[in-house]
Amino acid sequence: MEAFLSSMPEILATTIRMTVPLLFVALGELFSERAGLVNIGLDGLMTIGAFTGFVVGYQTGNLWLGVLCGAVAGIAVNMIYAFCTVNLCVDQTVMGMAINILAPGIATFAYKVVFGDGSTLVQGVTMDKVAIPLLSDIPVIGNAIFNQTLLAYLCYLLVPLCWFYFARTRSGLNFRSVGENPQAAETLGINAVQMKYLASIVCGALAGMGGAFLTTCYTSTYATGVVAGRGFIALAAVIFGRWSAVGILGSTLLFGFFDAVQISLQIAVPDISYQFFAMIPYVFTIVALFFFNAQKGGPKANGKPYFREER
Amino acid sequence: MAEMLRMEGISKQFGTFFANHDVNLDIQEGEVHTLLGENGAGKSTLMNVLIGLYQPTAGKILWRGKEERISSPARAVELGIGMVHQHFMLIEAMTGFENIILGSKVNPSFTIQESKDKKKIQELMDRYGLEVDLDVPVGEMSIGMQQRVEILKVLYRGAELLILDEPTAVLTDQEVEGLFDIMRSLTSEGKSVIFISHKMREVTKISDRVTVLRAGESVETLKMSETNGQELSDLMIGHRFVESVYDKVVAADKPMLELKGVSYHPNEKHGGLKDVTLTVNAGEVLGVAGIDGNGQSQLAALIAGLIAPEEGEVWRNGQRVSIYSPDDFIENGLADIPEDRNKMGLVGDMTVAQNLILKETTSDKFSYGHGLWLKTGAIQEYANEKKQENDIRCTSVNQTVRSLSGGNQQKVILARELEGNPPILIAVYPTRGLDIGATNFIHDRVIAARDGGCAVILISADFDEVLKLSDRIVVLFEGQVMGEYPGVNPPIDQISLAMAGK
Repeated sequence: MEAFLSSMPEILATTIRMTVPLLFVALGELFSERAGLVNIGLDGLMTIGAFTGFVVGYQTGNLWLGVLCGAVAGIAVNMIYAFCTVNLCVDQTVMGMAINILAPGIATFAYKVVFGDGSTLVQGVTMDKVAIPLLSDIPVIGNAIFNQTLLAYLCYLLVPLCWFYFARTRSGLNFRSVGENPQAAETLGINAVQMKYLASIVCGALAGMGGAFLTTCYTSTYATGVVAGRGFIALAAVIFGRWSAVGILGSTLLFGFFDAVQISLQIAVPDISYQFFAMIPYVFTIVALFFFNAQKGGPKANGKPYFREER
Repeated sequence: MAEMLRMEGISKQFGTFFANHDVNLDIQEGEVHTLLGENGAGKSTLMNVLIGLYQPTAGKILWRGKEERISSPARAVELGIGMVHQHFMLIEAMTGFENIILGSKVNPSFTIQESKDKKKIQELMDRYGLEVDLDVPVGEMSIGMQQRVEILKVLYRGAELLILDEPTAVLTDQEVEGLFDIMRSLTSEGKSVIFISHKMREVTKISDRVTVLRAGESVETLKMSETNGQELSDLMIGHRFVESVYDKVVAADKPMLELKGVSYHPNEKHGGLKDVTLTVNAGEVLGVAGIDGNGQSQLAALIAGLIAPEEGEVWRNGQRVSIYSPDDFIENGLADIPEDRNKMGLVGDMTVAQNLILKETTSDKFSYGHGLWLKTGAIQEYANEKKQENDIRCTSVNQTVRSLSGGNQQKVILARELEGNPPILIAVYPTRGLDIGATNFIHDRVIAARDGGCAVILISADFDEVLKLSDRIVVLFEGQVMGEYPGVNPPIDQISLAMAGK
């Protein structure tokens, strides 16, 4: 227990770090759902982002280029989802599952094409941490919170930007209306289809970046399963965060905290097999959704296909 | 007066079906122009073409003398055409203010400039007498106020031509008067209104000119001052329309259904019942009048056995009801025409034949082994018989019920519910959204059931319908029975006041 308490700053630092991939992806899903697209293919998008980010970063030595390519790859794969759900009106859940199956397949295959069929994982490098002057000098918490990678800072910066976009801008208001009532939005001259594509681009990019964060800032390698269901946790975080950017920050921090706790417990209590602790974030996800009415408060037309000339 | 809009030879085809065929319409500045037609006559299709939701298969549109292709709703808004849809196009989670500015390019600023935009909206509200609480989410507003938000929405975008699609269907009598005042103030400022309705009383009152549509084609355009309701009705249905007149009866004291001091969520204004006592005798129609949302839905659900009263008793055919389940109510001969035929009365994706036997799937007539194996032959034969008997217009009884018009869907429900002469019938808004022909047919059937000894309880927000059919009338207001009135020479003023809670 003492070891556990003394590791509090460590847990705090890990929380801040482990929240980042969840936050990236959850904000992406926020855009998607605000336009009425429930994208459960986040895990797949993250996988593609994680793989692309790693390969490009490893081959070029430029991790930022890796993150950028991860975002582009996420967009590319999500365009399949967008085309099928928006234009062809395929069931969103089915399509999301298809992405979850397709994307890791592509990633594993491409990995073997690039690196061969060896059993040892190729090791890359991770981004350097950048301590913010003054703030990182605050005792105990300073170094824990304000000594992160630039990508992490960027991620947290997105929260106020998203909030401002949805709450204060005309474009954000129009965007939200598509998820609430696309028919009404169209009668007001808002192009619902265009908005849904825009949402899918943002969602693909952010999910890809969330995946790339894992391989460029957390582990320095790509292995199958690196995403470990974070896409689904992010999905829960959007509901738990009441479809608002600030709420999502809160919920992902909570999920990130449980992730950090389980990591430090794995180290602190070696007698218990680590798989037991690894369950914690997932158990919490189920518990959180259990106590939370997912039907309430979300965009009204969420998950429903939109036909323009419906009779 | 200058011409504002001309639609020439408009056709719109869905597959092989012409929803509009060679339709002509012209609108002058400052007029109320009524578009009259039965359901499926093509009014909505024509308007959807006009606002750019549909592209016409043929024909051209001239706006202020210039030919225009209205390629999208945005283009229609640019031109100055705005529509208030029958089913409001509002975002319930957003406030009145947000709904009004949504999607508009009136103020192109990147961020929302609330005080500046509100000032402009306030000006419109004052000018046309449109009272709206801008900061309340639309979902919490009354229907009348929601409609005013819709009107403000199109005015805010600078609409010159307003299309009002069945705007009075959801309003109380007072609210209709208010709407007409607004329409008059709009036309006096040179704006024009296309008014879509099939309530003849309102059409004759507010219209300057009327264009009649029938079966997708424009039949004639007439000046209201040179025509009358009867002529318009005849044109609309294509032959002489004779409205049925029914005798009122005084039934013997033989209660089939009694509510004694029934309460359900009594503290809710818009969804509760408070100490309701009423009786329906065999062979009479008890009309329940009242403005929508005063407990009608709950009363209907209670009589159908969907919900149980929290206090009080329900007696059926002289026996106290102890089990509240629809199953048990049906067993005891309750027939139900529910308020929402699509959600509660029919299974849209099942066929006409299947919907017709839904209540009797386990009977020996239609199945072997108590519902184990359906007798398809017997079902077909029965369905065709019912189709004839009830004039259900469909190409085949194996067509999905969803593909039928509202009137024919209602006939399917009626055929199923009135089978075997049930002792009790509850009819909730039985003619909502139906045209005059179908309405008349439904009314005939309800009265025929009454004359056959059925105890009918009619719940309707259409006051004319209640007056026409009821032998006795009660008024429901905020979940309470406000009074009982005779069906013969009913004191209309008194009932109107009771409906408003006075």
